[in-house]
Amino acid sequence: MERALIVDDSRAMRRILSSTIRELGFEISEAGNGREALETLDALDDSVKLILVDWNMPEMNGLEFVTELRKTRQKFSSAKVMMVTTETAMEQMVKALEAGADEYIMKPFTKEAVVDKLRLLGLVV
Amino acid sequence: MDETQEIIEEFLIESNENLTQLDQDFIKLEQQPDDNALLSSVFRTIHTIKGTGGVLGFGILEAITHRAESILSQLREGERRLTPALTTLLLETVDIVKKILREIEASGNEGSERYLDLVERLQAVCDDKSGAEAVAPEQASAGNPGGLERSYPPASEPVEEVAAEGDEHPHFARQPDSASPAEGEQGEPPAAVPAATRSSVTDANIRVSVDLLDKLMNLVGELVLTRNQILQYTDTQEDAAFTATSQRLNLITTELQANVMKTRMQPIRVVWNQFPRVVRDLGQAFGKQLELQMDGANTELDKTIIEAIKDPLTHIVRNSCDHGIEMPEVRAAAGKPSKGTVLLRAFHEGGQVNIEISDDGAGINPDKLKQKAVQNGILTLDQAERLSQREALDLTFLPGLSTAKQVTNVSGRGVGMDVVKTNIEKIGGSIDLQSRLGHGTTLKIKIPLTLAIIPALVIECAGERFAIPQVNLVELVRLETGQEGQQQIELIGDTPVYRLRGKLLPLVYLSDVLGLDGSHETGESVNIIVLQADQKTFGLVVDAVHDTAEIVVKPLSKLLKGLNCYAGATIMGDGHVALILDVMGLAQLGGVVGESASHVQSAADSRDAGAAEKQAVLLFRAGAKDRLAVPLALVDRLEEFGVEAIELSGERQVVQYRERILPLMPLGSYLSGTEGDAASDEKVQVIVFSEGTKRIGIVVDEILDIVDEAITIRSRSSQPGILGSAVVGGQVTDFIDLHYLIEEASGDWFGGKSGAAAEGAHILVTEGSRFTRGLMRTHLEMAGYRVHEAANSEEAMECLRSETVDVLVSSLDLPGESGGQLLTRVRGLPDVGKVPALGLSLSAEELSRRPETGPAFDEYQLKFDRAAMLHSIEKLASAVLERKPETVGTGADV
Repeated sequence: MERALIVDDSRAMRRILSSTIRELGFEISEAGNGREALETLDALDDSVKLILVDWNMPEMNGLEFVTELRKTRQKFSSAKVMMVTTETAMEQMVKALEAGADEYIMKPFTKEAVVDKLRLLGLVV
Repeated sequence: MDETQEIIEEFLIESNENLTQLDQDFIKLEQQPDDNALLSSVFRTIHTIKGTGGVLGFGILEAITHRAESILSQLREGERRLTPALTTLLLETVDIVKKILREIEASGNEGSERYLDLVERLQAVCDDKSGAEAVAPEQASAGNPGGLERSYPPASEPVEEVAAEGDEHPHFARQPDSASPAEGEQGEPPAAVPAATRSSVTDANIRVSVDLLDKLMNLVGELVLTRNQILQYTDTQEDAAFTATSQRLNLITTELQANVMKTRMQPIRVVWNQFPRVVRDLGQAFGKQLELQMDGANTELDKTIIEAIKDPLTHIVRNSCDHGIEMPEVRAAAGKPSKGTVLLRAFHEGGQVNIEISDDGAGINPDKLKQKAVQNGILTLDQAERLSQREALDLTFLPGLSTAKQVTNVSGRGVGMDVVKTNIEKIGGSIDLQSRLGHGTTLKIKIPLTLAIIPALVIECAGERFAIPQVNLVELVRLETGQEGQQQIELIGDTPVYRLRGKLLPLVYLSDVLGLDGSHETGESVNIIVLQADQKTFGLVVDAVHDTAEIVVKPLSKLLKGLNCYAGATIMGDGHVALILDVMGLAQLGGVVGESASHVQSAADSRDAGAAEKQAVLLFRAGAKDRLAVPLALVDRLEEFGVEAIELSGERQVVQYRERILPLMPLGSYLSGTEGDAASDEKVQVIVFSEGTKRIGIVVDEILDIVDEAITIRSRSSQPGILGSAVVGGQVTDFIDLHYLIEEASGDWFGGKSGAAAEGAHILVTEGSRFTRGLMRTHLEMAGYRVHEAANSEEAMECLRSETVDVLVSSLDLPGESGGQLLTRVRGLPDVGKVPALGLSLSAEELSRRPETGPAFDEYQLKFDRAAMLHSIEKLASAVLERKPETVGTGADV
């Protein structure tokens, strides 16, 4: 089964995302910040197809994570990265996309919006 | 529970965790405004609540946190500096956010309150960037070791600075350690916020409900009991394999017990966390410079105990800030640093937790305490002089003593240290006060680690076994060989004492105290258990001392709760039930407890003895008056109304109550002459009174208590609405003048004062209760009568012979001769015997029961129906005055 990794420092937000993503048929792994996410990934195989990343997290933020992921973790080069942020500033998103993120979604979001974005990424039909 | 509900719960738990930290972070920020790591952490908390709250559809929460976030963002950008006013606003925001979270927790939605005022003020701060708060970016970045760039970076700058664009400004601390320099000094673990969030993912932590833990604790308790039973059985067995197995069971149970107890442990930090905020706010409110130091915040305590000490500790800390620490000028004049320090310490010692709260303030003056105690009638001058300094300091713990010069809204209400002490003792702890005048005060609290399982000594008396908590145990003394042993016990007065290493130890015979069979004269040896209660040691004489055991405390049933010599019950190893003795209660029963306390007690008793009869009184608080009272007999009902139920009729507040309109009188604002603020709370407390067919609701701030006490109204009050004051529960308490208030509230329901025709008439009030007599005197005098008082029929007869009396008012129920008998005697007198008489009864029932024989009173009324009573008196008095108008003015003045 395909796996999704959800990276957010808020437990509640992780649950919100997990519940939606799980319904779409993914297995879920979670991490509380970028550093944890890298550690978690290192213990997983390439069944990870989707990584949802919060922007603002302690220790290692979303942008740092994406940069590091794309630079050093070739195993997951096929995994899609979607940034989750509350902010509207597009320039930030550009940075993230340049660093290797594939898509972004802004909080507050609806379930439908998440599904739409995943459809864009070709992860759901 | 459905998924959304679970998510919301997670959101609440997470947000509350983060918000607890936030209070402290803001206060630290105020001191170290340049701590960028701290700011980031604060920012993230608000940011997370905003984001998650938004997704979950909590719009009000989002609106508030969004603006707070913007302000924080400006702070982080150095566009604004954190001022005390801004800190206060942000703290207020945190409070509101907490409030909304509580509302969500309770009702599942944010509630109807929109907090537009707060939103507007936050918005105003956001918009006002030109204020004096703004500082240059260089200034803000000074002292930031991370060297993070704060100005807007060009697009080519390194990665982490790019984030500074737009609204999102994540200048993250790159090492987690840099977030915690400020926290380190308070002995807390670094950065609780990330720690809490991190743990649930990688660490093997899970959340378990407290209910489950309680259940586990109970089960372990039962297991311990069973283990004890098996061990006892093992002693009689020879089977080696069985013995070995039960030994293993013993070890495992002990370990299991220890570990389950650990699951219930919480660091005392949980309680302390709120104190930096409390101290800061008090400092701001009083203009004092306060510093709070905390040492040992990680000391762990059982959850139940944590909850039990929360309020007492808060009270003590507030006391230290309010009464302990002086104003900066005073401190400077005394050669002390202008900043006062409150130090909290916690540590484990001897199976107990020690908590110390010390301040370097003014200290307590024992002489002032004595003075106050004498003033309040708690001690006689003689008793006060005999108290040692130490005993004098212990007066602090008596109800009704507050030495604060000014009663502030923080402390000095006189409900304080006595309650603190009671609460601490309730959980098996003790509290000790040390104070040096001019140097400060230290309160030392010792509390057991847990309440559920305690080590105890098992003793026997008259064939029954009892358990004594080891906390109270000092030593065991055994006097051998009957005769000699008895001789070593001497009698001082009636009190048996034993000379233990040169000191006299008062003895209490358990069999006597509990009323058990068994004479203490016959024993071959005497077993004395030396116990400590309230700083005093005494010896408890028992028949036999058995063993120590870990016992599981089972609370006594409701019916037995009132017995203060028992702390609970436990099941012994052999399955029998043993009662756990309450050492403090025993000491009181045995009459050996602290001299000062017993002095005080007897002083209070003798004071009460004068008034003899007790009166149920309702105590409440309204406006500036902290302690108001009204006799419970006058109260119809206590009600609570939602503010939305209150309507305006003309200028008067009314509610619909039992299909009728009930006029409301906001007592607090009436007495202080200010505008009512009843609408600030969601519910109002109302005391409903009725006179005749009229009802009125008096709105009060809080119902405090109902006490049964002998009461004498001591001083009359000149303030309208207040009848006078009396000492209730050792504190001066104002009695409200119900009739006056009802008149005020309802215009001329009863036609105001008594008619002029009857004014000046002489009324003899015969009533056994001094309190009621005083009440009636006041009512009558206000109506313009002259009043004579008599406590019984003898005094009434005496008065009738010597004074002019126009109307005799007598309670039917008098001490000694009844009102009826009095009337028979009066009617037998020549001349004065024709005096019109009004009989008062406590109840309609009594009225209907009155004997058929003997003369009848001219009128009968209920004792507390004041309007009717005045009406009758007026009627009777006017008739008399019409017949002999010369009486007016010629009667001897009283």
